[in-house]
Amino acid sequence: MFVLEKPLPRPTEDSAPYWEAARREELRLQKCQDCGHVRFPPSLLCPRCLSERAEWVRTSGRGTVYSFIVVHRPQHPAFQPDAPYNVAIVELEEGPRLHTNLVEVENSEIEIGMPVEVVFEKVNDEVTLPKFRPRRTENPGER
Amino acid sequence: MVFSGKYSIVGVGCSRFGKIQGVSTMGFTLEAAKRALEDAGLGRDEVDGVLVLMPAVMGEQHGWASRVASFLGIEPTFCATMDLGGATACAMAQTAAAAIEAGYCRTVLCCFATQNWPQGVELRLFGSEFQVPYGDVGAMTFMAHLKRRQQYEWGYPDEVYGTIAVTWRRHAQQNPEAQMRKPMSLEDYFASRWVVEPLRLFDCCPNTDGGGAFVVTSTERGRDLAKPPVRILGAGQSHSSEIIRPAGASDSHWGGKKAAEQVYRSAGVGPTDLSFAQIYDAFTPRVVHDVVAYGFCAPHEVADFVLEGNLDFGGRLPSNTAGGLLSEGHLSGFGHVREAVRQLRGECGPRQVPNAELGLVTGYGGAPHEAPPTVSYSALVLAR
Repeated sequence: MFVLEKPLPRPTEDSAPYWEAARREELRLQKCQDCGHVRFPPSLLCPRCLSERAEWVRTSGRGTVYSFIVVHRPQHPAFQPDAPYNVAIVELEEGPRLHTNLVEVENSEIEIGMPVEVVFEKVNDEVTLPKFRPRRTENPGER
Repeated sequence: MVFSGKYSIVGVGCSRFGKIQGVSTMGFTLEAAKRALEDAGLGRDEVDGVLVLMPAVMGEQHGWASRVASFLGIEPTFCATMDLGGATACAMAQTAAAAIEAGYCRTVLCCFATQNWPQGVELRLFGSEFQVPYGDVGAMTFMAHLKRRQQYEWGYPDEVYGTIAVTWRRHAQQNPEAQMRKPMSLEDYFASRWVVEPLRLFDCCPNTDGGGAFVVTSTERGRDLAKPPVRILGAGQSHSSEIIRPAGASDSHWGGKKAAEQVYRSAGVGPTDLSFAQIYDAFTPRVVHDVVAYGFCAPHEVADFVLEGNLDFGGRLPSNTAGGLLSEGHLSGFGHVREAVRQLRGECGPRQVPNAELGLVTGYGGAPHEAPPTVSYSALVLAR
């Protein structure tokens, strides 16, 4: 049977540390070493102060649901077998918002403001995708 | 006051449009360009500026605008490919006027086309490495988030979105060129399937193959041409690079509001002076956003404003009189410019707004489907 593969990230110099951390089951984001702004998506410059000095800090892995949608007609055929599936925007405690999928929850039970925590879904040896589930541990980032 | 009506749109035209395979993007562009020149009564030798919108689904097409000029047999002294998606049409009129003001050229042909089934080019997948792996592909997901946040923050019922779609469809019935003319009721809206929940099918515009064009020159020169010039009274734009902030109701960068302040200030008019509006409406939540951003009413008044029929003929601000992107078809805002010009010339027959003197056109586009989502807002006030 012909199986259409889902598109996976092809990391760049900017994003490789993010995906490498995800492989180790850590959610790391860039933090500006000059103004302290935690940013996402990764980039060479801090969008707040244009500093090039950044470190990759481990986040708490905690956040809340800022928005969610349920895709019934995917714009890419590889996702058709999953439909209807959710896509959520999670606002991390550190500030940035990530597009992700919520797992271990029914689509009908998702609510804006719901506390969530990161979990990691290994796709293959190279790629692990950070996803989120309703929060159940105190410090998911420290597991 | 930036231009104060010194420059005008003197010709408008569209190619065939709808679901049309087998015509090239260039073919549609040239067809639209020729019709706009004919409408203006201008020869191509009188055009010395060419602006073209980069079609989103084409992949890389270097030198697109100069190639369009070349196929038209024009050697312009000012030429540029623009890339603001659906915000381009309004911004292009502004750029054209600015180029003429600067003395770079005298008459600018502005055009665009798209072919959703392109031949010989690779289709790109919209979206970034941080979205696509999650099945978050295309503009629809971003717009679904916009609707979700609007409804969450302001409690807008689905009837508001449905009424917008139904109103436009009714307008399209008076437009023989419209792509979607089948009568639609609120019941039909509610019966339409989820595409990306909370977006139903009828919250979304159809894909459209085809193109549009218009010609900008000085108002003085326009007075000698085939049709009465439609003056560019004011223009505004603003661009947001905010990171993953679907423009919700209260939590929003309100980019449209900045463009609104600029367009009204430069035109010297306000929202209550308008005869009509053509609001960028690839998806119904876009309209809800602009109704607030462009000052038609406050956020908490949107539901009543829409449900009382204020966007319909006879209401406070008849809008999207040709059916909008949702029903006339998605010509990236060039259809909106054409309809505004026709309204101000009094050419709209059964869908004519009585005594149309002043019209607002809004645009919206960019890359809401890339990380970080960036959006561009643009607007024009046009006058008879």
